[in-house]
Amino acid sequence: MNTNQKIAHTFLTSRLRQLLVAVLSVTFGISMYVFMNSFMAGVNDQQSEITFTSMPHIKIYNELPAEVKPILPQPKDDNTALIVNSARNIRYTEGIKNADAIKDKISKFDQITGVTTQLNQNIFIRNGVSKANATLSGINTVSENLMFKTSEYLVEGDLFDLDKRSDGIIMGTLLAQNIGVGMDDNVVVTTSDGISKSFKVIGLIETGAISADKSRALVSIQTARQLFSKNKSYATEVMVNIKDYNTAVTMANEIAKLTDFKVEPWQQGNSQLDSANVLRDILAIAVSLTILIVAGFGIYNIMNMTVNEKIKEISILKAMGFNGKDVIEIFLTQSVVIGLIGGFTGLILGRIIVRIVDNIPFKIATLSTLPVAYNPTDYILAFFFGILITFLAGYLPARKASKVDPVEIIRG
Amino acid sequence: MATLSVNNITKYFYEPVEFQVLKNISFEVEKGEFVAIIGKSGSGKSTLLYLLSTLDTDYEGSISINGIQVTGLKQNKLASFRNEHIGFVFQFHFLLPDFTVLDNVMLPALKLNRKSKDEIEHKAIELLTLLDIKGQEHKKASKISGGQQQRVAIARALINSPAIIMGDEPTGNLDSKNTKIVFDIFRQLAREQGQTIIAVTHDDEFAANCDRIIELSDGMLVDTI
Ligand SMILES: Nc1ncnc2c1ncn2[C@@H]1O[C@H](COP(=O)(O)OP(=O)(O)OP(=O)(O)O)[C@@H](O)[C@H]1O
Ligand SMILES: [Mg+2]
Repeated sequence: MNTNQKIAHTFLTSRLRQLLVAVLSVTFGISMYVFMNSFMAGVNDQQSEITFTSMPHIKIYNELPAEVKPILPQPKDDNTALIVNSARNIRYTEGIKNADAIKDKISKFDQITGVTTQLNQNIFIRNGVSKANATLSGINTVSENLMFKTSEYLVEGDLFDLDKRSDGIIMGTLLAQNIGVGMDDNVVVTTSDGISKSFKVIGLIETGAISADKSRALVSIQTARQLFSKNKSYATEVMVNIKDYNTAVTMANEIAKLTDFKVEPWQQGNSQLDSANVLRDILAIAVSLTILIVAGFGIYNIMNMTVNEKIKEISILKAMGFNGKDVIEIFLTQSVVIGLIGGFTGLILGRIIVRIVDNIPFKIATLSTLPVAYNPTDYILAFFFGILITFLAGYLPARKASKVDPVEIIRG
Repeated sequence: MATLSVNNITKYFYEPVEFQVLKNISFEVEKGEFVAIIGKSGSGKSTLLYLLSTLDTDYEGSISINGIQVTGLKQNKLASFRNEHIGFVFQFHFLLPDFTVLDNVMLPALKLNRKSKDEIEHKAIELLTLLDIKGQEHKKASKISGGQQQRVAIARALINSPAIIMGDEPTGNLDSKNTKIVFDIFRQLAREQGQTIIAVTHDDEFAANCDRIIELSDGMLVDTI
């Protein structure tokens, strides 16, 4: 301990009650920061988990060009009129002919945690006279299951039987109910091109998302390709999951450089989810920073009082040869020590609060307790902001202390 | 070369009304000299001492200590200059109340940082013994008597063996026995270590035994004997 630190230490320990109050205000601020952010992150994670049971982080598909290219160049001079009647935006290709090539290309990104291909088409599904519109998804069972844990949502049957039986189909529970079929019943699928094929129901799936359960039917992707007479590597969508779904936009931009197909991060078309997440984050940060700033004012106040109380001591120190920098160091050290002690106890208290909240029963939807997250970054940021704010709050009083004119005080 | 040379110093106070406390003061003090400053209450002795100690920089004229002109130096420079060259005993013996007696004495030396902590502590104890306050060194400075505090302040002023020791009534609170101890210490330091002593005093006997008396009256030097 150098001399200035020794002085700071003596000043701090001579007023234990004040020290305690200052430390507690930091403790409180930091624990609230940890709690708020962990809670909001927990809610966000919960929301995302539900969202991503059927939706990938990034989707690659063939989209109609948004802009219709002009058929003829705009005439240069004003005397020529150009009229094009009934210009049409014709889709020359449908779907992705060579989905495997895209899978290969994007496999170089190590942020990618899962890729699967799907062939989705609207179909008619019929059981005798009862029929319904549905979406037929040809899926790659293994990679689909890795990405979406599809097999967990099967209420009957086995997902992987799709690979064994080319006439097997798994239906959404509500869809099956709609047309009155159950396990092992036969249904007829008719494509928009008028091709019909008979399938046997070998499984029922219930995801909890009503719209999907009412309209979705799964077959293996090979079966779907045969049904729609598509080539071996054909798919309508390539679905990609990445390590951190918050970075989907940047990743999508990276992937878009490699392909002409539309690369869509989940935020597009799900802006309500995205904005809810962002708003919750902003709320958490705003509230927790406010609490930290209030704690900062507390420290500012206490340090200011300390400086006023110690003005005589400051004058003596300066008369003995301590300079302005020493005085700043002495008082800033006190604030930083308060920040460090308050920081550590705040992290511990925050962690305890989060633990308690994690165990509060909350039985709505799929939840059983309040959702919280345990992100190390929340703790690191809480500590960082805590130290930053004590530093700033301590700096102003310290500077004031360094400006004390010793003669004024010593003269009496 | 004089240890202290004061050139034509003038000082005003502006609050509450403009008032000239010190008027054209010039004098020199040689190395190893023991000088008493006397004068009626309010004549400007303390004010002069604050100027000499470089704490107060708001004056006209110039002051040189140890051949260095301190007038016009920056605050931080002055702080380290004081630390090394000037020992000061205030009229109201200011100690740091939260620190122990020993810490109070050691602090200027710890700040100077020329010697090891053990050496400093050794020297501090030596000074405290000399000033007859051995045994109190681990008490808080606020928990000893006024006279003891004054002697601690003297020990603190001596710890860095400064070229000049300035005291504003350094024996003001002391009985005659301790006054004699302090006087003898000063006398010895001046004679044997060549340290210069400047002490404001109301004690005629103390003043009479010094090498020289400087008398102030209404902010002017009366005469230099
Ligand atoms: N801060 C101040 N503002 C205005 N006037 C002051 C201030 N300090 C001292 N004075 C005035 O300056 C004059 C000299 O004061 P100073 O303290 O130097 O006297 P002194 O000789 O030390 O007296 P004493 O023997 O009582 O200590 C006095 O008239 C006093 O009223
Ligand atoms: Mg005085």
